[in-house]
Amino acid sequence: MLYKDTMKKNTFYLFTGCMALVLLALFWYSVELHTPLLIEVAFIIGILIVYLARRTVTDIIEDERSAKITEEAAVRTFQVFWVGFCALSIGVVMEILYIPSFPRERSAIRPPEILPPRMLGYLQLVLLCLMIFTYVGFRIYYARKYGDWEIDEE
Amino acid sequence: MKNKIKVFRAMHDLTQEDLAQATGVTRQTILAIEKGKYVPSLDLAFKISRHFNVNVEEVFQYSDSVRTVDVD
Repeated sequence: MLYKDTMKKNTFYLFTGCMALVLLALFWYSVELHTPLLIEVAFIIGILIVYLARRTVTDIIEDERSAKITEEAAVRTFQVFWVGFCALSIGVVMEILYIPSFPRERSAIRPPEILPPRMLGYLQLVLLCLMIFTYVGFRIYYARKYGDWEIDEE
Repeated sequence: MKNKIKVFRAMHDLTQEDLAQATGVTRQTILAIEKGKYVPSLDLAFKISRHFNVNVEEVFQYSDSVRTVDVD
């Protein structure tokens, strides 16, 4: 598909779906091998390939209205996400900054706790879900606002 | 922003799809503009009016009721 100079819209969607499946398989494989670097590198390469493939599409995928919907949804998502991200980050930063002041007993001194990787994973999952659901929600809202589901009388 | 795209389309016997292809947007965008759900950019407004061989003011009319800004 990629060796052609141009691509149709439906071919691009099919290609993107195949790429998503490959990434899902690689994700599973990297979980099995316990090597996060594999899926991280594959994800970046996969997204780059999709962006490059998108440039070869000849039909219209995105015009100014859909670009505006994407833009508005992205800005609103950022506005919501940074608040959630900062709130969670403040909690984690507070943990690393915890220093007991003037302990009366020696037993009161405890070593600083480092967030275990599994907990960090859950935290990232929550943030990722927050970002995705917020974006999808705003996208639906702005798509509706700018007439995506208007009924045509033609 | 009001517009007479539908009227001009009827005069030129054009479908939404024809106009969309001629101006490089999707049919849904033409529909959204006609319904007043989306205000086109200046670039697209000029493209549409040029396609009908008229001035942009003949196709699009600015309506004061949309938004009023107090200068003072």
